[in-house]
Amino acid sequence: MSNQKKRNFQIEAFKQRVVVDPKYADKTWKILEHAIHEIYNHNASGLSFEELYRNAYNMVLHKYGDKLYTGLVTTMTFHLKEICKSIEEAQGGAFLELLNRKWNDHNKALQMIRDILMYMDRTYVSTTKKTHVHELGLHLWRDNVVYSSKIQTRLLNTLLDLVHKERTGEVIDRVLMRNVIKMFMDLGESVYQDDFEKPFLEASAEFYKVESMEFIESCDCGEYLKKAEKPLVEEVERVVNYLDAKSEAKITSVVEREMIANHVQRLVHMENSGLVNMLLNDKYEDMGRMYSLFRRVANGLVTVRDVMTLHLREMGKQLVTDPEKSKDPVEFVQRLLDERDKYDRIINMAFNNDKTFQNALNSSFEYFVNLNTRSPEFISLFVDDKLRKGLKGVGEEDVDLILDKVMMLFRYLQEKDVFEKYYKQHLAKRLLSGKTVSDDAERNLIVKLKTECGYQFTSKLEGMFTDMKTSHDTLLGFYNSHPELSEGPTLVVQVLTTGSWPTQPTIQCNLPAEVSVLCEKFRSYYLGTHTGRRLSWQTNMGTADIKAVFGKGQKHELNVSTFQMCVLMLFNNSDRLSYKEIEQATEIPAPDLKRCLQSMACVKGKNVLRKEPMSKEIAEEDWFVVNDRFASKFYKVKIGTVVAQKETEPEKQETRQRVEEDRKPQIEAAIVRIMKSRRVLDHNNIIAEVTKQLQTRFLANPTEIKKRIESLIERDFLERDNTDRKLYRYLA
Amino acid sequence: MRRSSSKKKSGQSTESVTTDLFRSASSKASNKEMDRIDHLFNQYANKSSSLIDPEGIEELCSNLEVSHTDIRILMLAWKMKAEKQGYFTHEEWRRGLKALRADTINKLKKALPELEKEVRRPSNFADFYAYAFCYCLTEEKQKSIDIETICQLLEIVMGSTFRAQVDYFVEYLKIQNDYKVINMDQWMGLYRFCNEISFPDMGNYNPELAWPLILDNFVEWIQEKQA
Repeated sequence: MSNQKKRNFQIEAFKQRVVVDPKYADKTWKILEHAIHEIYNHNASGLSFEELYRNAYNMVLHKYGDKLYTGLVTTMTFHLKEICKSIEEAQGGAFLELLNRKWNDHNKALQMIRDILMYMDRTYVSTTKKTHVHELGLHLWRDNVVYSSKIQTRLLNTLLDLVHKERTGEVIDRVLMRNVIKMFMDLGESVYQDDFEKPFLEASAEFYKVESMEFIESCDCGEYLKKAEKPLVEEVERVVNYLDAKSEAKITSVVEREMIANHVQRLVHMENSGLVNMLLNDKYEDMGRMYSLFRRVANGLVTVRDVMTLHLREMGKQLVTDPEKSKDPVEFVQRLLDERDKYDRIINMAFNNDKTFQNALNSSFEYFVNLNTRSPEFISLFVDDKLRKGLKGVGEEDVDLILDKVMMLFRYLQEKDVFEKYYKQHLAKRLLSGKTVSDDAERNLIVKLKTECGYQFTSKLEGMFTDMKTSHDTLLGFYNSHPELSEGPTLVVQVLTTGSWPTQPTIQCNLPAEVSVLCEKFRSYYLGTHTGRRLSWQTNMGTADIKAVFGKGQKHELNVSTFQMCVLMLFNNSDRLSYKEIEQATEIPAPDLKRCLQSMACVKGKNVLRKEPMSKEIAEEDWFVVNDRFASKFYKVKIGTVVAQKETEPEKQETRQRVEEDRKPQIEAAIVRIMKSRRVLDHNNIIAEVTKQLQTRFLANPTEIKKRIESLIERDFLERDNTDRKLYRYLA
Repeated sequence: MRRSSSKKKSGQSTESVTTDLFRSASSKASNKEMDRIDHLFNQYANKSSSLIDPEGIEELCSNLEVSHTDIRILMLAWKMKAEKQGYFTHEEWRRGLKALRADTINKLKKALPELEKEVRRPSNFADFYAYAFCYCLTEEKQKSIDIETICQLLEIVMGSTFRAQVDYFVEYLKIQNDYKVINMDQWMGLYRFCNEISFPDMGNYNPELAWPLILDNFVEWIQEKQA
C-alpha cells in the first residue's frame, strides 16, 4: 500500500442510487392529507409545520408533484363540498353568517396549506403552469360553494334583499355585507361584476323606477327634486360602506337615469310647479336643485334652458305687444329692465351663472325687444325721463348702474339708427329747456354710446353740447360789450349749428318791439364776430318769462313759449282782441296759434286769457281778453310745456320715413365701399357683407340692398358681368 | 404680231385681260349691284333729307308685304345697324342690303326668311334683343324706356317665342306702380328669365340671386295669383 500513488482527494457525487420506496410517496401523501383534514377541522394546533413542509418538499423533489397537487385538489374539494352542504342547510339569517364564517375559515386554511406547500407552489406549479395554490383555493371555493346550485341564487337574493331592506329604511348588518361582498371581489373581478354587480344594478334600477313613479305621481316638482337628491347621496354611502369603489359610477348613473333622466320632460313641464312656475315665483332653491340634478344627465340642462327660453320669448312677446303696456313708454322700459334684472338674478342664484343660460337670456330679449317697432323711441323716452328728473338725488355710482342697464337694452335693438333719431330730438328739447338733471349723467351716457357704436354715432350729439357751451360764452361777450342793456329785458340766446341739431322748420313771427330790438342787437354782435354765417330765429322753440299784474293786483310770473309771449304782449296795448287781429299782428301760423291760444284760454289753472265764446275749441271768430280773475296758488306759473312726448301716429310715420330715407345713402355707401376694395363680387356675398357692415346701426333689408344695387348700376357705379350674371363689377 | 410671241403675249395678255375682265366684271357687277341698291334707296328716301323716313319705311313694308310692326323690319334694321328708330341712312341701307345680297325688292323679300333664321340663332338673338332696346332710345342720354313702349317692343321681339311670359309680364307691367320706366339691365334680365326659368311654375327661380328686383316682384305677383 505504500506504493499507492498519491491520489487527489476528490469528492464525488453520491453515486449510490437512493431507492425510493414507492410506498414512500403514498405514506408521505397520507401524512399531508391528514394534515389538511385537521386544518379544516380546526385541529391545526397539533401539527408540526416543519415536518409537513419537509414532507411536501420531499414529494416534489422525488418527482411526486403530480400526486401532491392532485391530492390537494381532491382533498380540498371534498372539504368544500361538506362546507357547502352545511351552508345549504342553514336557515334564514344564519345562512349568510355561516357562509361568511366558512369563507373566513377557508381562507385561513388556505393560508396554512399554502405555506406548507410553498415549495410545490414555487417549483412544480410554475413549471407545469398549473394554478397556484392560493388561486386554486379561491377557484375551488367559487366552483364548489358559490356556484353550487343551491347556494348561488339564494346568496344573491339574500344580498339583494338586504339592500332593498336598507333602502326602505331598515337597518342591516353592514359589516357582514361588506365581508360577503368582499368575498366576491376576492374571487375575481369578473365574479364580482357578473355574479353580483350586474344583478345588483338591475335590481336597483327596478327599485328606483318604482320609487320615481310613486314620487312623481304624488309630489310636485320641487318636492320630487328634493326626494331625488337623497338616493344619490345614499348610494354613494352604500358603495363606501360595502361595495367595490368601481361600482360608484355605475350605481350613480342608474339612479340618475331612473330618478332624473326618465322624468326630465315631465318635471320641467309639470303644471303649477314646473320650471315656468319656478321662474315666475323666483324659487331659487328649487331651481338651483333642478340645475344641479339635471346637469348630471345628458340634455338635462338643454331642456331647462330651452323651456326657459321659450317662456321668456312668450312672456316678452306678450309684454311688448300688449297695447296697454305701450301706453306709458317709461313704464314699458322699466318693465323690460325689471324682467331682465329678475332673470339675471335667477341665472346668478340658481343656474350657477351658466354662460349658455346668459346667452339664451340675451337672445330672447333681442328677439322680443325688436318685435315692437317703437322700442327705440320708448327707450329714448325712458332715458329722457331719467335725465330730466328720475336721477335727481341719485348717487353717481347708481346713475352709472342705471345707464349701464339702459345700454344693455340698447344693445338688443336692431334699429339703432331709429334710436339715434329720437335721442337727438329728446336731447335737443332737454338742452334747450334747460331741463337736464345732471350734465355729468348726460355726458356719461354719450361716452357709453360712443364706446358701443363709435365716434360717428355721437359726434352730432357732442356738437349739441358744444353749441350750448359756446352760446353761453357768446352771450357773456354780448352783455359785456353792451353794458347799457343790463336794464330791460334779459335775452338768453342759444346758437344752434344746423346739422348737429334735429331739423326743424323755421317759423317766423312778429316779435314784440322790446324783444326784436334786443334780437337785432344780438344778431349784429354775433355776425360781427362770425363772418360768413347766417342766423335765423327759431321762434317755435323759445320760451319767455313774463311778469304780469292782473285785475285784482295779483302778480304772477308766467313762463310761456315765444308764441305765447307775442300774443300776451299785444294786450299791453289793447284790452280786447279778436283772433284775426292777433293772427295779423303776430303772423304766427294758424295751427300753432290755435294751439297756443288754447293753452292760455281753455286750460284750468293756466287760463290767463278769457275767450268769448267759452267753447273748448278756438274758432276764427273768437275774441280774447285778459282774465282779470286769474288765480293761482303759485307765483310762478308755467304755461305751455316743451316736454318730449310719445309721438302721435302721423309723427311716427314721418320719423320712420325719414329713417328709411336716411338708410338709403348708408346702404349705397356701404356697397360702394365694398365694391371698391373687392372690384368683383357676387350677389350673395355683397348682401352678406353689406348687412354685416351696417349691423351696428340697423338690420338691412336684402330687398332694399338689391334696389340700391340696381340704382347704382343705373348710375354707372357698378355693372353686371357679361358672362356670369351673378357677379357685379366696380366701375372706376 | 409673231405668233409665238403673240401667243405668249396674247397668252399673257389674255390672262391679264381675263383677270382684268373678271375683276372689272365683278367690280362692274358689284358696282351694278350697288347702283341698284342706291336706286332702290332713292325710291323710298325723302328727297330733302336724303334719308328713308317713317313714311318711306311704311311704303317699303307694304312692298315687302310685311307689317311695319313686324319683327322682320326690326331685324332688317339690326342687319343695317341702323341707329335711329324710324330712319335709314344711305350708308345703313347699303350696309344691310349688301350683306343680304339683295338689290331688288323681290330679292329683299326673299332674303327675309333667311335673315330671320340668322337672327334667331341663339348667338345672335341676345345681341338682337339688346339692339332692339337701344333702337328705341330716342333722346340723347336716354337710358330707360317707358312702360307703354316696352310692352309693344316685347310683343314684337318675344311675342312669337315666349307667348305666355310676354302676356303675363305685360299685364304685370301695366298694373304695378314701382317702375315707370325699364332700363337695359331689367330688359336683359327679362330675356334671361324667359330662357332660363320654367314657366309658369317658376320652380327654379330664386329671388335671393341677382335677378333684378322687378322680376322678383313679378314672380311674387304671379305666385299670389296662382294661390
